[in-house]
This record gives sequence, C-alpha cells and structure tokens, in this order.
Amino acid sequence: MKSFLNLEGKLILITGASAGIGKQLAIQLNQCGARLALIGSNQGRLESLKNELGNARHTYIHFDVTQLDKIPNLIQTLVEGEGPITGYVNCVGMRSRRPLNLLTSEHVQEIFTSNYFSFLEFIKNICKKKNYQSGLSIVQISSIASERGAPSVTAYAGSKAAVDASIRCLAKELAPKGIRLNSVVPAQTNTPIFQELLAASEGKPDPTLQRQFLGLGEPEDVSNLIMFLLSERSRFISGHALPIDGGFLIN
Amino acid sequence: MTNQEKIALLEDALEIESGTLNESTLLSDVAEYDSMAKLSLIVLCDEEFSKKLTGEQIKEFKTVGDILNFMG
Repeated sequence: MKSFLNLEGKLILITGASAGIGKQLAIQLNQCGARLALIGSNQGRLESLKNELGNARHTYIHFDVTQLDKIPNLIQTLVEGEGPITGYVNCVGMRSRRPLNLLTSEHVQEIFTSNYFSFLEFIKNICKKKNYQSGLSIVQISSIASERGAPSVTAYAGSKAAVDASIRCLAKELAPKGIRLNSVVPAQTNTPIFQELLAASEGKPDPTLQRQFLGLGEPEDVSNLIMFLLSERSRFISGHALPIDGGFLIN
Repeated sequence: MTNQEKIALLEDALEIESGTLNESTLLSDVAEYDSMAKLSLIVLCDEEFSKKLTGEQIKEFKTVGDILNFMG
C-alpha cells in the first residue's frame, strides 16, 4: 500500500482531523510517511492526536474553520513554514436535524458557513500560486444526504449538495493548473457521530443501515478511498462524488 | 418564563393550535406528538433553555407538565 500510493513526504492538510474519519485518515497517512497539517476545533482531541502521531513531521493547528477571515493568513503561514500543499481533505461536517418550522435562516447560515463557505475559502487560498504543488488533490467528505431525501436534514443535505456541485465546476476550472477535486459519499459509518445517533434512536433499527447490504462501514473503509484519491494513482479521476456506502445508493 | 409561555412555545414548535395543551395533557393523547415533534422539542430545549434533551429523557415524558419541568 505504502509504495503503491507513494505519499511519502507529501504535505497534506486535513480539516476536521481530530475525530472520526479525519482522525483515521491522519493515522494512515502518518504510516505512509506523509507530512500532515492537522486542523481541529477541539483542543483536547487535537492534543491526544499529537501524542499518538508525534510532531516530528506534523503541524497541529487548533482552529475553528468558521473564522473565514482568518483562513488566508493560516494557509500563508503554513506554506511559509512547511512548503507547498499536495493534498487537502475536508472532514468538517456540522450535523443538523431540524423540521422545517425550526429551520431559521441563522441556523442554515451556520451550517453553510461550517460545511460550505469554509471549504470554498480553504480551496481559494490553497489554490493560489506558490501555495500548492501541481498534482494537488482535494477531497471532500460528502454524504448520501446530498443524493437522497430524508426528513429534517434539509440544511445539512443542502450544504453537502452545494459542495458536490461546486466540485464539479472547480474540477473543470482548476484542471489546467493540475489540480483535481473529488468528494467521497459515505453512508452510515462507525464514527463517534454514528454512535451518538444510535444512542438517541431509542433502540429502533437505523433505516439507512437496513439498506446497506454490506453492513456498517468503518472509518478505514472511507479513509482508504481518500488515500487513493490523494495519490497520483487516481490522476484520471476528477469532479466526482464517489459513493462508499455499503450498497445503500443502489438498493 | 411562565408555564403559559412555555406551553405557547411548545404549541408553536409542534404546530398545535394555541390553547390546546395544558400541564396535565397526556402526550399519548396528542396526535401531533410524533418523531418530528420530538425532534422539534430537542431543538426547542437547546435553543430556548440551553438544555440537552436525550432520547431516553423523551421516553420518560408522560404529560406536558413533565416537559415544562424539564425546561426548568
């Protein structure tokens, strides 16, 4: 796997790195010898990741990605210290479950700032001259919510669909610069967020999981696909939303 | 906040006609009290009262009064 992907020494930025799929990805990329810039909003979880991976090769940044005006400076400082970026993975996903009558514009704004505006701001700054290496691969964690309807996840689904649609546009716009963008589309995956949902479900079977005929996905299933998309082995793939869903979307 | 004000918030969130609920109303008698209503209740408790409501706690609610007590 290591030599097949050849990610050694590459600088990869991960937002939302301190939990779930982002954390699993960081652990695997560390094993492949990549240099990581890990951004998380939870100081404690980021510290524990630092203890696990060490800081010889990696940079840890405690940062709230909704501070859009501070993103340009963050990227500039990172590149000055560590050199140009070869990969960017956005694992930030603020959940939202609200019926329509409680869907205030403030709430929708908050979800879009976290899940969409922030992603655009990161890309805009990473894709500036000298901030990236040609061959840059950008990967977003999307959701089956962007492709299938479900009650009460209107704002979340909208934010994920917005990212997927923008990725199709940016894939064409940035191709001449040697930049590729894709999203991965997981269904139910065994992350802390899924465990919270399970605890809140009052013992009822999860309707999504019932349609996943390959069972519940593990974070590693998703991070394996992301690693492939980060590597040059996937150089012929751009602009896609790739399902990694245990069969959900064809069922 | 008075109980009347809390009931008004609850009726609004659950889209129930004003004046329908009182403290002793049994939740099992309220047709609108379904899974989406429970979700609305979670949002309401979080936003208006800064209280995290869990599925387990919701299961224990029997009357409107129980909800008002939780709101504090």
